[in-house]
Amino acid sequence: MDGKGWERVRMARLGGSSASRGREAAQLRQVSSQTVRLGRVQPQAPSHRTIYCNDREANLLARFKVCGHIIYGVSIPRICWHLSYFFCKILIYLVALLLFQVNSVSTTKYNILTFLPKGLFEQFRRVANLYFLMISILSTTPISPVSPVTNVVPLSLVLLVSLIKEAFEDWKRFQNDIAINSTPVDVLQGENWETVSWRKLQVGDIIRTANLDGETNLKIRKALERTWDYVFPEKASEFKGEIQCEQPNNSLYTFTGNLIVENQTLPLSPNQILLRGCSLRNTVHIVGAVIFTGHETKVMMNSMSVPSKRSTLERKLDKLILTLFGGLFFMCLIGAIGSGVFINRKYYYLGLFEDVEQQFNPSNRFVVSILTMFTLITLYSTIIPISLYVSIEMIKFIQCAQFINKDLRMYHAETNTPALARTSNLNEELGQVEYIFSDKTGTLTRNLMEFFKCSIGGVSYGVGITEIERGQAQREGRALNEIQKSDTVVYEKGFNFDDDRIMRGAWRNERDPEIFKEFFRCLALCHTVLPEGDESPEKIVYQAASPDEAALVTAAKHFGFFFYRRTPTTVQLRESHVEKMGNIQDVSYEILNVLEFNSTRKRQSVVCRYPNGRLVLYCKGADNVIYERLAGTNQDIKRLTREHLEQFGSSGLRTLCLAYRDLTIDTYENWNEKFVQAKSSLRDREKKLDEVAEMIEKDLILIGSTAIEDKLQEGVPDCIDTLSRAGIKIWVLTGDKMETAINIAYACNLINNDMKQLIITSETDAIREAEEKGDPVEISRVIRDSVSHDLKRCLEEAQQDLHIFGQKLALVIDGKCLMYALDPSFRVDLLKLSLNCSSVVCCRVSPLQKAQVTSLVKKGARRITLSIGDGANDVSMIQAAHVGVGISGLEGMQAVMASDFAIAQFRFLKDLLLVHGRWSYIRLCKVITYFFYKNLTFTLTQFWFTFHTGFSGQRFYDDWFQSLYNVIFTALPVIILGLFDKDVSASLAKKYPQLYKEGIRNTYFKWAVVGVWAFFAFYQSLIFYYFTTTASENGHNSSGKIFGLWDVSTMAFTCVVITVNLRLLMACNSITRWHHLSISGSILAWFVFIFIYSGVMTPNDRQENVYFTIYVLMSTFYFYLTLLLVPIVALFGDFLYLGLQRWFFPYNYQIVQEIHRDEVDSISRTEFLEIGNHLTPDEARSYAIAQLPREKSKHTGFAFDSPGYESFFASQAGVYVPQKAWDVARRASVRSSKRTSQR
Amino acid sequence: MNVPTADPALEADAAVERKKKSKKPKYSRFTQQELPACKPLLTPTIVISTFALIGILFIPIGLASLSASENVVEIVYRYDTECIPQQSQDDKVAFIQSSATDKTCRTTLTVPKNMKAPVHIYYELYNFYQNHRRYVKNRNDKQLRSKEYELETTNCAPEATTVDGSPIVPCGLIAWSLFNDTYSFAIQNKAIEVNKKNIAWQSDKDEKFGSDVYPKNFQQGGLIGGAKLNESIPLSEQEDLIVWMRTAALPQFRKLYGRIETDLVANEQISVTIQNNYNTYSFEGEKKLVLSTTSWIGGKNDFLGVAYLTVGSLCLFLALAFIVLYLLKPRTLGDPSYLSWNRNPDRH
Repeated sequence: MDGKGWERVRMARLGGSSASRGREAAQLRQVSSQTVRLGRVQPQAPSHRTIYCNDREANLLARFKVCGHIIYGVSIPRICWHLSYFFCKILIYLVALLLFQVNSVSTTKYNILTFLPKGLFEQFRRVANLYFLMISILSTTPISPVSPVTNVVPLSLVLLVSLIKEAFEDWKRFQNDIAINSTPVDVLQGENWETVSWRKLQVGDIIRTANLDGETNLKIRKALERTWDYVFPEKASEFKGEIQCEQPNNSLYTFTGNLIVENQTLPLSPNQILLRGCSLRNTVHIVGAVIFTGHETKVMMNSMSVPSKRSTLERKLDKLILTLFGGLFFMCLIGAIGSGVFINRKYYYLGLFEDVEQQFNPSNRFVVSILTMFTLITLYSTIIPISLYVSIEMIKFIQCAQFINKDLRMYHAETNTPALARTSNLNEELGQVEYIFSDKTGTLTRNLMEFFKCSIGGVSYGVGITEIERGQAQREGRALNEIQKSDTVVYEKGFNFDDDRIMRGAWRNERDPEIFKEFFRCLALCHTVLPEGDESPEKIVYQAASPDEAALVTAAKHFGFFFYRRTPTTVQLRESHVEKMGNIQDVSYEILNVLEFNSTRKRQSVVCRYPNGRLVLYCKGADNVIYERLAGTNQDIKRLTREHLEQFGSSGLRTLCLAYRDLTIDTYENWNEKFVQAKSSLRDREKKLDEVAEMIEKDLILIGSTAIEDKLQEGVPDCIDTLSRAGIKIWVLTGDKMETAINIAYACNLINNDMKQLIITSETDAIREAEEKGDPVEISRVIRDSVSHDLKRCLEEAQQDLHIFGQKLALVIDGKCLMYALDPSFRVDLLKLSLNCSSVVCCRVSPLQKAQVTSLVKKGARRITLSIGDGANDVSMIQAAHVGVGISGLEGMQAVMASDFAIAQFRFLKDLLLVHGRWSYIRLCKVITYFFYKNLTFTLTQFWFTFHTGFSGQRFYDDWFQSLYNVIFTALPVIILGLFDKDVSASLAKKYPQLYKEGIRNTYFKWAVVGVWAFFAFYQSLIFYYFTTTASENGHNSSGKIFGLWDVSTMAFTCVVITVNLRLLMACNSITRWHHLSISGSILAWFVFIFIYSGVMTPNDRQENVYFTIYVLMSTFYFYLTLLLVPIVALFGDFLYLGLQRWFFPYNYQIVQEIHRDEVDSISRTEFLEIGNHLTPDEARSYAIAQLPREKSKHTGFAFDSPGYESFFASQAGVYVPQKAWDVARRASVRSSKRTSQR
Repeated sequence: MNVPTADPALEADAAVERKKKSKKPKYSRFTQQELPACKPLLTPTIVISTFALIGILFIPIGLASLSASENVVEIVYRYDTECIPQQSQDDKVAFIQSSATDKTCRTTLTVPKNMKAPVHIYYELYNFYQNHRRYVKNRNDKQLRSKEYELETTNCAPEATTVDGSPIVPCGLIAWSLFNDTYSFAIQNKAIEVNKKNIAWQSDKDEKFGSDVYPKNFQQGGLIGGAKLNESIPLSEQEDLIVWMRTAALPQFRKLYGRIETDLVANEQISVTIQNNYNTYSFEGEKKLVLSTTSWIGGKNDFLGVAYLTVGSLCLFLALAFIVLYLLKPRTLGDPSYLSWNRNPDRH
């Protein structure tokens, strides 16, 4: 029923005008090719393949056949794949397999032979490395002013580090592969199961497997009946058959094939396939035939197409590098022109005779300029920070492996899941997220419905206090008298309720026991739940379409109305305390009619006959629907219940009203006639059924209401609140219905009463009317018009409310409308509207739309987006966003496989974004700007020198100085900065979430920031060059001896190294001993180096050398005076700037630092973290409370949500219903169900 | 049919197994990013005291350097124009290049103040690019260092070999363009001895220029670049060459020529005889003769002293200015009202 709407839409689309169809198709195509890679089915080979089951030889034969075809080049060989066959018990397990391959899977990038060439090739695909390779080559030519050493050494070091990292990562992948490939599996060999390792599995093998690691959502898989008997090895070995199936592809939800057994052709559908990576839930093992193996399995074929993402910061970095190239070119141009002008034969001492080489030949100044250009490019190559990329990589790698993955605050003890950074590319992206797109089920909520409260006959029961109530109370400063639950309290999944007034039969003593009976019977009778397992209260398992229903029936059980058996016509209850206390009796109720739930009716009724002949209609449904149909009596109960409904709603509970109606036999008979008629009518059956239902669902008597807690994950409201104060806008994209979605949005603080809700829905009369007429073109047109109208209206309202009244807005839109709103012509409006809203809820959206919405914001608004989800339906959205986060630790692995980061709980987002993301971003920004600064400074000193060398391109520094500058003398401290710098502690970052906004605004890597660094680089380079040279002109000690070029340059270089390292220290917010070690180590390294380098004379000494310069220098006062003066003067500007900036224009983080300047960083105590799950400090909570709704919510919700309903029951009944996207999305609610309905 | 159900024992085992394999990360200060750290804040107090400290430190150093530099007595005499006879002023290059002209040039210098021995004699060249890329590398250190490498003339073109191919020692443009003006001094017709020993750095003499390397084929070509060398003296003793070959950083440089080992008294007239041989006229260069004493800081160079004084007083000034500013408009540390979201609460 749920899919019906979609069915209609699809019809509409199919039958729509060709223009609209074309547009839609184009849109779909566009989206599928750009954003949703996972869902796209790769082109298939033209033929199918055949596998002979349980017959290794036959499969082997076929393998040679195929080889032959390929070798002899027969045109498009009709490849005869072999098939093996199939086998099953309860589930058929089917793994895709390529003939040539055994099942071993390799995810490694390299092997020993290919490592070097392939690895190097990968490295040189980076522009920076390629650039330095070219510079290195250039520096071997006479054109170069520097020896090859200058560029080759850093380049090789950088390559070495990168290759080591690659090798390390590949080694880990290799280890992982080994572990997977050697998983034991039982293979049928003759008549016995033999355990072989996973990797030796072949196509056609019949295997028994108990547990395959990883997993997706719970899905029902069933073997063909024909194969049910082949469970035991003796029997299985007899099995011979042939499978014809499609070629391997990456579509997870489709499979077509046939099993041919004894000339019988049986169709195989996805229902009979198990994919690699699944695990079994309710059966110990299954027997099946292998169809695809290794890289042909669907999981592997999918995992290859995961797009790699680059962070926005890195893309901006590219721009910076490009700017540097521009600067380089400019500097070289100046130098080149200068050299052309300068060169002249009058400088006879330069030996510029007729036969001088072209570069210095004054007869052709143009050539001189061109060649000098190249000379200068080599000389100034240091302006491009060669070690930047490798440093960033290392920093990010450690940040991921050591900080994110090992953060105890993000470790979830219940599921034993630590956080996992699956890519190290995006750390800093986490610090700039502005939009979060969240799935609902399983992400915000636990998908765990618990019976929490109820109102019976105008009295509210249930002592529990929801998170939201607790928050409200705390905000208002009143103490909650939390009633301790009695010791005997029962707790079961789906039931979290206690009240001594009604539990354990106590309801008998209440004012009106009769109404309690009605209430409990309504709960126990009015549903579509199937009981399973032993018929004892402890062991029974309820199979329900939605967890809500199961929770209600479970509640009835605990109230003493135990529903234990359903037959086609009856429901049997074991009732306690009905006649008198302690009395237990089995009662069988005849169910005469079931008026099913659907989204228009929003209610569900049963007509049942008591054993004593009483005819009752029990009805439960949304409050507004029920209230419309109540009899006019008993206003008190109605009023009280209404109040309770509001209370429950504001506590974030999902409410349902219960009502009944006694029927006379006449009334019933009359009605039943019509009902039977309607039921058997061939046209408009549903509509007629609805109409008939209307006739009996009236004059109801209100019993009360139930309140179910859709248990939010721990800390979700607090987390959402913190994130929204951090300037992050959270959108909920869910497949749920609008009411449910709004309800959850209220519960987790996304929407509150202060906000104005803008609702764009397809549930309007006009649309419904059009849909009833059934003309697809008309439907399409009507919805389109309505969407267009709504968008315009909302946009107007939004602009008015937002700008004039400053009211916060929330947009709620459903999937059908979204489909039209995403049309290019409305897209701009939609974007504008949604950007104005503080929160957006999209309900009833398909996975594809989730991705579309994500890319709408990503591309349209150019903001940084993050998607978080846990199921397969979130995969496309996760991949479409800048950062994809998967919820790990539960069943689904698919979302995690597609994600960039995996966390166990939604609330960990707070740590991931506000702490890790923010720090990474700030650190990376500092690292990048610092790299930029230090290389610019260094190169500019060189540049100033050029002016004094007749633009000849003479190098100022020794080759080795220059080559080690980036990789030794200034390498480590910046990495330490990138790892350890901490402006505010983790707890402060969470306490002041607003600090995160600086990341969103990209405060630390703006051109202005870069400009300031550039300015000081410029200033410092002038100081270095002019101070050291100007001061060097005379003799410098009493012997009156004079310095040469290399003395001065050694002096300058010493100053540069010291200053640049000290400048780093000034950029640090927190200084650990690692900072001290690395900074003093770097400076020391320079001195050690120069002492040795200039102290040792080798036979093959360098030309024009720096021999003994440092000793010469150190024998003069000039050295010490300059060493003190130059760094201080150079840093003077920076210091002044930083001081003034903090004084007059402090950053927020600086104020926070000051507020907490005297506090010692709280060190997390290990024992505290041991608990693992209750980390939210009271403090954080009180902040959250401040943001809670100001007044009681007027919102009440109701709670039927069963998108997977249709196919769920269909498959229970053994009928195959094509799966819809919803079904895949939906995890079935019951994890521990022990069997399917085989009996 | 027989439906196998999950074995509870197995499941329990699995649970235990899972417990054992806890993936809980180990606590360490490193991974939890809680390394002990000091967190310096650039508060106004620190800014002010840093500036004050620098000022207090720098001003004395500056004064000391400056006074040391002031104590140095220096006589600078530019002679490149004056040493060309009147009739040759229009074509100085021809004059200097002609072997026939008499290049002796006499002048008198007055000693401004008492100059304590040793008085250093420098020549100073201007617009001479000893740091030109072609020039700097135009030498062969190996050849200079040892006799074995006599044939080593890489990089020395065009002054690498003679026409017949035998190597020039020392080869290269630097040696070839060796400065060849000479100076002699007399006071009241009494010649003052110029000590030309120990004008090069010891390390150069010991290691870079071999004591077994003798000049060979030097300045024998068609073009004479500069001074000739006595072929009987090893390079390690040729200090003029060694000094010359420690190429200067800038196109304006001084090089040590020798020392006068006697004190010069104020107002004494020194007559200087200059052999004006070196051609700086081609490239519009300048030549200067410098007589200078030294102090601990070296020759006369006010730069360091002035720089120290300027920076020091600037810092003191800033420190004072900030103190005033601080008194007038104090900045409360950690005032939450500075937080952007408190400043304009509407705008976020």
